[in-house]
Amino acid sequence: MNYLIELLVSGLAVGAVYGLIAMSFAIIFKATGLLNFAQGEMGMITAYVAFSIASATDGNPWLTAAGAIVFSVLFALAVERIVIRPMVDEPILARIMTTIGLAVIFRSGTMLVWDALPHDMGLAAGSALVDLGGVRVRGAQIGVVVALAVAVAAMLAFFRYSRFGIAMRAVASDDATARLMGVKTARVQQAAWGAAAVMSGIAGALFAIAWELSPSLYALGLKSFPATILGGLDSVVGSAFGGVVIGITENLVGGYLSPGLKEVAGFVIIIAILMVRPYGLFGEKRIERL
Amino acid sequence: MIQTQTQAAGGAAPPLLEIRNARIVYDHAVEAVREVSLSVPQGSVVALLGSNGAGKSTLLKALTGTLALEDGEVEKGAILLDGEDLGRTPTDRIVARGVSLVPEGRRLFANLTVEDNITMGGHLKGAADLARLRAQVYDLFPRLAERRRQIAGYLSGGEQQMVAVGRALMAEPRLLALDEPSLGLAPLIVDQIYATVARLNAEFGMTILLVEQNAMQAMEIADTVYIMENGRIVLDGPAEQMRGNLDVQEYYLGFSGGGERRSFRDVKHYKRRKRWLS
Repeated sequence: MNYLIELLVSGLAVGAVYGLIAMSFAIIFKATGLLNFAQGEMGMITAYVAFSIASATDGNPWLTAAGAIVFSVLFALAVERIVIRPMVDEPILARIMTTIGLAVIFRSGTMLVWDALPHDMGLAAGSALVDLGGVRVRGAQIGVVVALAVAVAAMLAFFRYSRFGIAMRAVASDDATARLMGVKTARVQQAAWGAAAVMSGIAGALFAIAWELSPSLYALGLKSFPATILGGLDSVVGSAFGGVVIGITENLVGGYLSPGLKEVAGFVIIIAILMVRPYGLFGEKRIERL
Repeated sequence: MIQTQTQAAGGAAPPLLEIRNARIVYDHAVEAVREVSLSVPQGSVVALLGSNGAGKSTLLKALTGTLALEDGEVEKGAILLDGEDLGRTPTDRIVARGVSLVPEGRRLFANLTVEDNITMGGHLKGAADLARLRAQVYDLFPRLAERRRQIAGYLSGGEQQMVAVGRALMAEPRLLALDEPSLGLAPLIVDQIYATVARLNAEFGMTILLVEQNAMQAMEIADTVYIMENGRIVLDGPAEQMRGNLDVQEYYLGFSGGGERRSFRDVKHYKRRKRWLS
């Protein structure tokens, strides 16, 4: 029983990491129709920046968090402005290829600026073990689950009540018409990139604290993208759920069946669900009626 | 009424909208509109008629600053709002200056509720104005108030058109442009939409630019009519006079010499000299 709970808890934590990055994919897709395949790498770079700040400030968690969040937003806005926006009218495949190119550049850039060795983040508060009713977890694992819950609540409120959130949904539905209402689509896209950067940055940094920091962190993006598909490509909140489902499934299969099946399990679920619900669990169906 | 007052008072006040010798080209190659001039005085209803591909929607895209999205460009001439060339004014500035478009095919945000669709129309308005403007729209279309929480994509065609008009009104336009508002709607619903448009003009003095294939209906409420064909204005004049024009009757209103109604199909296949081309 305790073994099951441990698997569930650590599955939930890694699932929350996937969920946050999956939400990043979904919000950019929703606002711009683009899949940013450099999302995992951007989260990784934010984690490395957090590592550098933590080293420079003797592991001050507040300075590290604030610095990393500010960096992630500025970095994303720069990428959006310099590389993504000039390509806005180009064919979608060219734009997606651009993000794949960015991903490769960011991956090697990280190894150039830092190194290829695993590091400890040096944040005592995050890596300390906490006893939760017999199950021992790291502070950062609790942190990432809390972060996911906060992000989900914030996104729900944003899309339902905020005028800017409704405008983002309008842009997702029909951007040419949203422009006719006076919506500045560039603003909406910047906001999406900024929000995505914060969510994937938090995911990357907390993952690095709870497990370890290394250049293989980028692979979180590859694991999270299927979670977005599972939840529904345009469903930001559904993506969070998709991440948790994949994280827990992986852990249960790895723990009870075989560690070798761990990687496969998530994808088996995705294929099964997509065959029944091609728009994902929470994706918006195109309403077609004349 | 308003038109004569302002003109009497201001002397040479420019029309709200004036299109001067506009030539519009797509991809630097395809000419969609050539040498078109058109004037929409303050407080009037102007109908721009013509069949598919005549260039009517292209003119509206130029007016709303959305031509560039389709690689279109006003190559020559000008589009003037209050006598001022719009040039490359971005769409949000044009909306702020009082131009609202009800796009062809309604183009609702299908997954949003009726209320959210309407709210989007007031995107540039402050929060305080929104409630007042929404109340006005619901007053104009009580049916929408009942359906405010429903998903817009599942409404009937007529209700969707009401949402589209209501959404455009949220920007408090001075010039309301409607692109084929009767397309695909039942005659009874078209009557209602037209009654509303006429009311907006009569009661609120709103200037209307009506782009239609449905000439009959449009001519009933218009003051001035322009007819476009192959990118040119081929005929224009006061609606009264145009209704009496034999060619207009024949080609656009579906009447033959005896005054009885003929189907559009017959008219299309009935070869006859167009007097305005000679």
